[in-house]
Amino acid sequence: MIVAENLHKTYKRHAEKVTVLNGLDLDVHDGEFLSIVGSSGSGKSTLLHLLGTLDKPDEGTIHLNGKRIDNLPGRERDRMRNEVFGFIFQFYHLLPELSTIENVLIPMMVGSGIRGWFGKRREARMRACAILERVGLGHRLKHKPRELSGGEMQRTAIARALVARPRILFADEPTGNLDVRAGSEIVHLLRDLNHDEGVTIIMVTHNLELVSSTDRVLRMNLGRMVDDSPSLPVAGTLWSPQHEYGTPRLHQREAV
Amino acid sequence: MYKLLLCWRYLRTRFLAVVCVVSVMLGVATLVVVNSVMSGFSTKMKDRMHGLLSDVIVETSNINGFPLTDDEMMARIMASPVGEHIQAMTPTIEVVAMINFEHTLMNSRDPGLYAMGDRQKVSRPVQLIGIDPKGRAAIGGFARHLRQPERRANPSFELTAEARRWFDIQNPPAPRIAPAIPPGWPEGVPLPEETPEAPIDPQGAIVGYAIACYRDTNPHTNVEEDIFTLHPGDTINILTVGSGKEQIRPVYGQFVVADYIKTELAECDSHAVFVPLQYLQALRGTPNRSTHIQIKLKDYASAQFVIAELRKIFRDTYTFQINTWEDKQGSLLAAIDIERGILNLLLFLIIGVAGFSILAIFSMIVVEKTRDIGILKSLGASNQGVMMIFLGYGLLLGVVGSGLGTALGLAITFNINPIEGWLSTITGTAVFDRKVYYFDAIPTNVEASNVIFLNLGAIGIATVFSVLPALRAAMLHPVRALRFE
Repeated sequence: MIVAENLHKTYKRHAEKVTVLNGLDLDVHDGEFLSIVGSSGSGKSTLLHLLGTLDKPDEGTIHLNGKRIDNLPGRERDRMRNEVFGFIFQFYHLLPELSTIENVLIPMMVGSGIRGWFGKRREARMRACAILERVGLGHRLKHKPRELSGGEMQRTAIARALVARPRILFADEPTGNLDVRAGSEIVHLLRDLNHDEGVTIIMVTHNLELVSSTDRVLRMNLGRMVDDSPSLPVAGTLWSPQHEYGTPRLHQREAV
Repeated sequence: MYKLLLCWRYLRTRFLAVVCVVSVMLGVATLVVVNSVMSGFSTKMKDRMHGLLSDVIVETSNINGFPLTDDEMMARIMASPVGEHIQAMTPTIEVVAMINFEHTLMNSRDPGLYAMGDRQKVSRPVQLIGIDPKGRAAIGGFARHLRQPERRANPSFELTAEARRWFDIQNPPAPRIAPAIPPGWPEGVPLPEETPEAPIDPQGAIVGYAIACYRDTNPHTNVEEDIFTLHPGDTINILTVGSGKEQIRPVYGQFVVADYIKTELAECDSHAVFVPLQYLQALRGTPNRSTHIQIKLKDYASAQFVIAELRKIFRDTYTFQINTWEDKQGSLLAAIDIERGILNLLLFLIIGVAGFSILAIFSMIVVEKTRDIGILKSLGASNQGVMMIFLGYGLLLGVVGSGLGTALGLAITFNINPIEGWLSTITGTAVFDRKVYYFDAIPTNVEASNVIFLNLGAIGIATVFSVLPALRAAMLHPVRALRFE
């Protein structure tokens, strides 16, 4: 579905060039729940930004269903972010002035003009209510983000990401700001959505316990993919949370 | 739709937006009040001037007046093509004069006190205007400025009964002294009866209100009052200019105050003395000759045509000045308009300052909202969309500020006199000094077009000053915005 080839991305930081992605290749399948792990600064978030057309690579290409998307003009990229992609962030990034349901409705408002919005307002509201019900926030429609818990805010963010029926969901550390239980609930929710709605999910996470729920795990290091294998169940495997992510598995592979 | 929603929410939830709204509101309110007061003054002055001057004035600078008699002049005008445009016409004489009268204080109107001699002689230059009061009333608002209500309905120079009584007190008939018996007059034969003196028939005059009184603070009540020095029934002596073939000559006359005229125009109230036209003509030695013909038109729109035609009629024969009332007061009216324009320009700087506060505050809000902008862009909002949020925010702020400012400005305008009174009481200083303007109240006139223009200007400034922050918001890179802390 998404194919990225030879992606390079460099940032300037205080007159110093920092290479974040260094010839990264990636192939994501339709309906897949993919997790990407790696140490801080390995380029995971940058990869999501490039795949989600929030940023442009310095070099390399990104194709979505065979169509190149990294060099699209601004309007096309905006349209893709609104209709094809959905984003979930670590810090939820809800708009504090809006209620839960308004936050969820925003992508649909962005996708339609004033006239178009009045035409589909009722339908959009029903869809938003249904999704909020699905994520367990049917009773929190009018609440402002400051009145919600972290888990509830992240579930609101998931509802917002899903409301416009995206084909790919980018989740950047969706559990990074939640406790273990809330984080687990979120990943299970994502798993269910992936299963029920068939939405492709690309999740970046530090939490090794959570990746067991995903179809495939990729490990990044220094701007490249260093490991690509199907996820294994947590219990009795090398993906033990007490170990630093990725390292034991690599050691095991080397040992094999 | 999201742009409208966010504009509205930002306006409702951001305290800084209130600061912008208040600054725009104060600017607009100030402009509305100042413009309404300026317009009130201007309208009142124009109304008074127009009322006194009629639509079109034919005048001669010849001290002897027109070469034709009043009837000939008016017949000639009526016979011309402009005749059908004329509603009323009246001749007048306007000459400079010096008046002299005895300053009698209010309490000295008591005959006993008057006899004690509590008087001073006062002289002052005036504009002596000879009119036919009914004719003058027909061409403008002369009658409605007269102080005695009964005289407004029937303009005349007749003295009221009380004025006449006061005149008689000041001018008692000479004591009759028994005539001496001629030598050789037969004893027992009565002397023949003398013909009794005919009662004096004084010529009435209508005097400018500010000539007859001055304004001062009553030391007992601490309230400003009009102190009258000239009352109906008082005599005024006049020295003016008579006709002469080669040189001007002084002529003297005596009039009795019949009433006051209060136009609230200092020019008229301080200098005008109206006297009977025919008497003044006789006094000056120019019977049936005037210096002005005042013309009231059926429709003021035809004034320029009338002037052009009149100039044709009198072009070859005489050198007259023929003008509309606006032409005659052109410099004063232009000065009012210029003052108003400059004041507007200066006051718009207040809104300009409000504009800069909007710029500064919006820049802060854009920084504060950087992450929100990143979120919106990640959800597919375009650069233009983000820009429109902040432009719309500025526009909305301008609309709300202007709306509130207009409401506040109108509230102040409609209650400006009570507010002025309250401020004067608090500060102990007259904010609106009635000695200066002779107005009883601060005149106001709210012009809808002006208020709309002010609102559009303020909204435009608020929007223009939000362009820069809006552009900055639109140009934010989504990733950098999302990572902003």
